[in-house]
Amino acid sequence: MKLFASALFLSLISASCLASDDAWLALQKSAHAARELNYQGVFVYVNGKQTSSVQVTHMNTAGREMMRNVVLDNNPQASSANGNQPREVYSQGSDIVIMQQKNQKTVIEKRRGQNLFPAMLPTDLRSIKASYSANFGAKEYVAGREAQVIDLISNDAFRYSYKIWADAEYGLLLKMTLVDNKNKTLEQIEFTQLSTLNSQDVNWFQPKIDVTKSYEMQNNTAVNQVHSNWIVAELPIGYVKVEHRALAVPGKVMPVDQVIFSDGIGSVSVFVEPLIKGMRPKMGQMSIGSTNVCARVLDGYQVTVVGEVPVLPCLQIAKAVSFKKQTAADK
Amino acid sequence: MKDQLSALIDGELGIESAEHLIASTKAGGELKQCWAHYHLIGDVMRGEVNNSHSISARVMAALENEPIIFSPNASYIQNTIHSDALEANTSAPSGASTRYAKSYQNIKNNKLWSVAASVAAVMFVGVMVLQLNQAEELAPVEIAQSVPMEYLQAHQAAAPNGAAIYIQNASFSEQKP
Repeated sequence: MKLFASALFLSLISASCLASDDAWLALQKSAHAARELNYQGVFVYVNGKQTSSVQVTHMNTAGREMMRNVVLDNNPQASSANGNQPREVYSQGSDIVIMQQKNQKTVIEKRRGQNLFPAMLPTDLRSIKASYSANFGAKEYVAGREAQVIDLISNDAFRYSYKIWADAEYGLLLKMTLVDNKNKTLEQIEFTQLSTLNSQDVNWFQPKIDVTKSYEMQNNTAVNQVHSNWIVAELPIGYVKVEHRALAVPGKVMPVDQVIFSDGIGSVSVFVEPLIKGMRPKMGQMSIGSTNVCARVLDGYQVTVVGEVPVLPCLQIAKAVSFKKQTAADK
Repeated sequence: MKDQLSALIDGELGIESAEHLIASTKAGGELKQCWAHYHLIGDVMRGEVNNSHSISARVMAALENEPIIFSPNASYIQNTIHSDALEANTSAPSGASTRYAKSYQNIKNNKLWSVAASVAAVMFVGVMVLQLNQAEELAPVEIAQSVPMEYLQAHQAAAPNGAAIYIQNASFSEQKP
């Protein structure tokens, strides 16, 4: 009944949005549909040369969101190198738990506040309206469903563009590609199977892992006290700071300072750590699929910028890092 | 090519338009040497090379105090005059006094230049030796040669949009594109 009611509500929005021809409203509907509807299916994620299939089950009962993702396959190279098995991801509200078999152990990692597919669009679109333009494209079929194509085009060179296939009826995000300014697809995620989840049963929301095996909590959690002596003087337009944390990284003596900037969809992290004796400084730039990495050395600190953003903002952010005492001396 | 490399190091040339430079620098050879030399020169100019500053200062001070002797080498002058005289026989005649003044000027210039050149050479070699001793542990490495996996992981773990969560391990195996 709940599904029916929300579907009716969403199709009412749909009718008005097509009338006003507003692609932004369609995106808004898509952002809500991913979080409010009950569905299950399989999606395929492709980034660079890597591919992964994931089974997803999503339910929203009385405003409580529950989701399970089971990674169905694994890269044979990666698994032989790391001894890793497919992982399971559980989320409830904004809490995420990742479980993975590793060397006869279950490794458990906790995260918070990440938007997982198909909830890739922010519910508050105001943050991206200034940086992107939205236009309706053609109608196509994805996973047996009719989909409305919406192009979310970057207004400048500081971010990638996105092509979005939203279910013509429910608005659910069926497919999304990340496109660079040469119109080359860098990343793609799409449903290959999708159906509504009609049962209210929540038995699926429990790990399939072997409970007889021992487990360990992954220890890469943030250190609470955060005070840093550096700033990013000039951010690429549209980006705002969303998080700042001191990170205990395995193998590093000192906690690493991490600041995350986002333009509403794309995000980029800046890491700053002192170059201690024996540490080899890194410099330059490289790309892995949609991810760019830039490094430079500043006043005895290693600055590393990592993000699913184009090279330009990556370099610009790396260049704009400066230490506070310097700016104070300049004034 | 070398001018472009220099411009790249000085930040006057965008990294996005320097792919060919980076490729040929990586390939080794002359350009790779230039890369090392330009950075070395830059380090020296910024005074980032330990001790080299005091050496160059001492050399410069010594040079300052040293009297520059302009008295020409007698045999050299003899030879020069002799060859000039031979030349005078075959070409149009001219005043011997102006000829002598001219060769004296030449010698003086040569002398100055050779002093400057040897000082520069000594400085350069000295700096090279110092730099090589340090370079073994401090030379920066290209990020592509040493991908900071811990930071890719940390970014993906905290990024607001987490599609990479599904192929984390796989993408991490893709270290060498």
